Amino acid sequence: MKQIGEPILTADRITLAFGGVTALNAISFGIRRHEILAMIGPNGAGKTSMLNVINGFYHPQAGTITWKGETRRRMRPYHAAAQGIARTFQNVALFKGMTTLDNIMTGRLLHMRRNFLWQAIHFGPAEQEELAHRARVERIIDFLEIQAIRKTPVGRLPYGLQKRVELGRALAMEPELLLLDEPMAGMNVEEKEDMCRFILDVSDEFGTTIALIEHDMGVVMDISDRVIVLDYGRKIADGPPDEVRSSPEVIAAYLGEER
Amino acid sequence: MNFFVLEVLIGGLLTGVLYALVALGFVLIFKASAVFNFAQGSMCLFAALALVRLMEVLPVALALLSAAAIMIGLAFAIERLVLRPLVNQEAIILFMATIGITFFLDGFGQSVFGSEVYTLDLGIPKDPLILFDGVIPGGILVNEFDLWAAVAAGVLVAVLAVFFQRTRIGRALRAVADDHQAALSVGIPLRHIWVIVWSVAGLVALVAGIIWGSKLGVQFSIALVALKALPVLMLGGLTSVPGAIVGGLIVGAGEKLSEVFLGPFLGGGIENWFAYVLALLFLLVRPQGLFGERIIERV
Amino acid sequence: MIYREAGQFRTSYAADQAVFPVLQDRVFVCAVALFAFFIVPFLASEYLLRAILVPFLILAIAAVGLNLLVGYCGQISLGSAAFMAVGAYAAYDVTVHLPWLNLLFVFLIGGLCAAAAGVVFGLPSLRIKGYYLAVATLAAQFFFDWLFIRVPWFTNYASSGSVSAPPLSIFGLRFDSPAGRYLFCLALLTVTAVAAKNLVRARMGRIWMAMRDMDIAAEIIGIRPLHAKLSAFAISSFIIGISGALWAFVHLGSWEPLAFSIDRSFALLFMVVIGGLGSILGCFLGAAFITILPIFLNQVPTALGIPLSTAMISHLEFMTFGALIVFFLIVEPSGLARLWAICREKLRLWPFPH
Repeated sequence: MKQIGEPILTADRITLAFGGVTALNAISFGIRRHEILAMIGPNGAGKTSMLNVINGFYHPQAGTITWKGETRRRMRPYHAAAQGIARTFQNVALFKGMTTLDNIMTGRLLHMRRNFLWQAIHFGPAEQEELAHRARVERIIDFLEIQAIRKTPVGRLPYGLQKRVELGRALAMEPELLLLDEPMAGMNVEEKEDMCRFILDVSDEFGTTIALIEHDMGVVMDISDRVIVLDYGRKIADGPPDEVRSSPEVIAAYLGEER
Repeated sequence: MNFFVLEVLIGGLLTGVLYALVALGFVLIFKASAVFNFAQGSMCLFAALALVRLMEVLPVALALLSAAAIMIGLAFAIERLVLRPLVNQEAIILFMATIGITFFLDGFGQSVFGSEVYTLDLGIPKDPLILFDGVIPGGILVNEFDLWAAVAAGVLVAVLAVFFQRTRIGRALRAVADDHQAALSVGIPLRHIWVIVWSVAGLVALVAGIIWGSKLGVQFSIALVALKALPVLMLGGLTSVPGAIVGGLIVGAGEKLSEVFLGPFLGGGIENWFAYVLALLFLLVRPQGLFGERIIERV
Repeated sequence: MIYREAGQFRTSYAADQAVFPVLQDRVFVCAVALFAFFIVPFLASEYLLRAILVPFLILAIAAVGLNLLVGYCGQISLGSAAFMAVGAYAAYDVTVHLPWLNLLFVFLIGGLCAAAAGVVFGLPSLRIKGYYLAVATLAAQFFFDWLFIRVPWFTNYASSGSVSAPPLSIFGLRFDSPAGRYLFCLALLTVTAVAAKNLVRARMGRIWMAMRDMDIAAEIIGIRPLHAKLSAFAISSFIIGISGALWAFVHLGSWEPLAFSIDRSFALLFMVVIGGLGSILGCFLGAAFITILPIFLNQVPTALGIPLSTAMISHLEFMTFGALIVFFLIVEPSGLARLWAICREKLRLWPFPH
């Protein structure tokens, strides 16, 4: 049984605007350690923008993010990665020219220490390090059941498998916070069940905090500990799934008002 | 003296217009087929060679028409033999293919039309003119030929701008540049478009070839003018017709001014690289050139 | 028949990650290496060694350097000959001012200077991409063209602008002979190719390939674009600089700045593209192709007995070269390395059709 702890990341009145369009309007929330948080809302509500702000891709005009005690507004994505935040994307940002194995190995880059001179010689410390990381990556490949496509160039894989490989790459980073942007988009029922299983296993075994954007309500209700609902850049609900499901604002946002 | 600066400046601006002419061909092809046509300079040379040799046997008007026809024929050949087989390849492959075309055209042009230096005289007056005599003592020394060339370039640019913005074909060209597949799916005939674009670029090359050929004599070094046009493209933006003109003016003026004022400190001869460094500095501020399309990258 | 992998199981990650996992490949490469090191120097004629093999080896080194930058890291560089020039002149100036320094260190310093130049001219790649970057790299080409002609310190104030390399010897052993030059270049090529292959399958290579495939996304796994791109420019220019020093010292003997003009840059780029972007083997194949082709084209008219002026022959060479480039790109845009891979695939099945 996992213990949900204190907030590991707090967003405080984040405001993000592009030209005249306000994508995020003074949004505040916290993500607690070890929990699975789902972010839902109609299209264009600002969910992906919020993840981009956490990740460092977008810099908000106002508001701050506090990560593990440190407050900041702007951050480059590689800082976020170095500090333990991993991310997957709606459109699968894999390196299409590399194989599955190589893609997941890129997730280990932050943990590799040997400099390029050792790498050029290969035999010795660099090789040891490479093999150790290979072993870890193989464990992730086993976990995600993608052994058969290890050596396939990622560009040739079907969309569902690409999403799984992207999850693998994010896991390889051994993150403390995992941001998943529609990890089950375009999957059939079996694939979704597999993905749910993986996400729950990651949360149970590694204790990784997970924030995911998802449209499938069944998935959201089943696996998340807490749900945040966004609509036109505002937060309109924040609580356990059952509470959110019956909240009148949420129903109005999705289904419209009763006349 | 201030007026000397003005003279150098005007001379530079006029040269810049000539660079812009060559750059224009690049922009046209890039705008419509997303191909960086490194062979543009060789096309100028080829056109000029064809014209000058034809003028030895035909009257000027016929020679001009024949040269234009040859450039259109070249466009057909390039579309059929190079563009069509390479239709879905990466940018660098297409770029290398145009370098291959450069080599081919250089060799072909010179073996068919000869490799000597030919004088091209279309009757454009080349006398030095003294302008603004009343306003500025001594006046400004300008070459009449350069003025005519600037006028020709201006007319060409205006025609092309109208062509792109107002006509149906112009719209189709812009669609093709944006997205080949989308253009195909609305029924735009890709191949016809490419032939049209390369023909127009060929005709622009002919005009540029005429002007540079009259100025320098028709010889191999015209092909190298393309290397001067590249910084113009960078500065102005690869996809912008007005950018080519503005870029040309900035590069031309910058080159001449720097040669006169910076050159003596650095040992002279800095023309060759100054344009590139200048363009580089502009690019650091605006990575897509002054008027180029913003490259929006999404994850 | 011969090229069967049946029975060859890889039982460790190390074996799986080997450069030549198939036994037949290992045997073949060893055979080629032994042949190149021990048999060729004795059998090849002086002309073959000096005029064909030595330039091929040196250009293969340069191609390896350029492929790291263009093929693996995806940054187009049109001014690579400028870095050859930097390597050559840096090495020359070291021999002028520190004549007692071992030749290997001289080349090393030449490479390091070229690496520094590469980093400086690679800085724009952080802001500028694509064709704009390609044209920006030409700035390096023209700048160094000018620098080595106009600033006489580099040529040691030689009045003619051309300079000569000192006699070639390391640790007292002179290797001026054609066979000596050949073996020296071959040794350096082997070291370079092995180091490059190791780099591209290690962390560095993955960082570069990530930048090539999707540089915005590369940041999310912790890659710093600055570090990635500049390291590619630095290492690539280091190798190209050494090849430049070799070209000047071992192949040319005496040279002037024109030896490193833009034609050389394009030749290197052709080697890399035709050989295969992102393939170390491709560098060898591309360098061989570009080295042998002009010689071949030169012989053809005389072989056919057609009387042509040298100017005409030169024009025909240009034409054929250009046409072959285009033809090649149409037939196999992934380069000779891909053709080789296809051959191997067919060999695995031979004599069966599928």
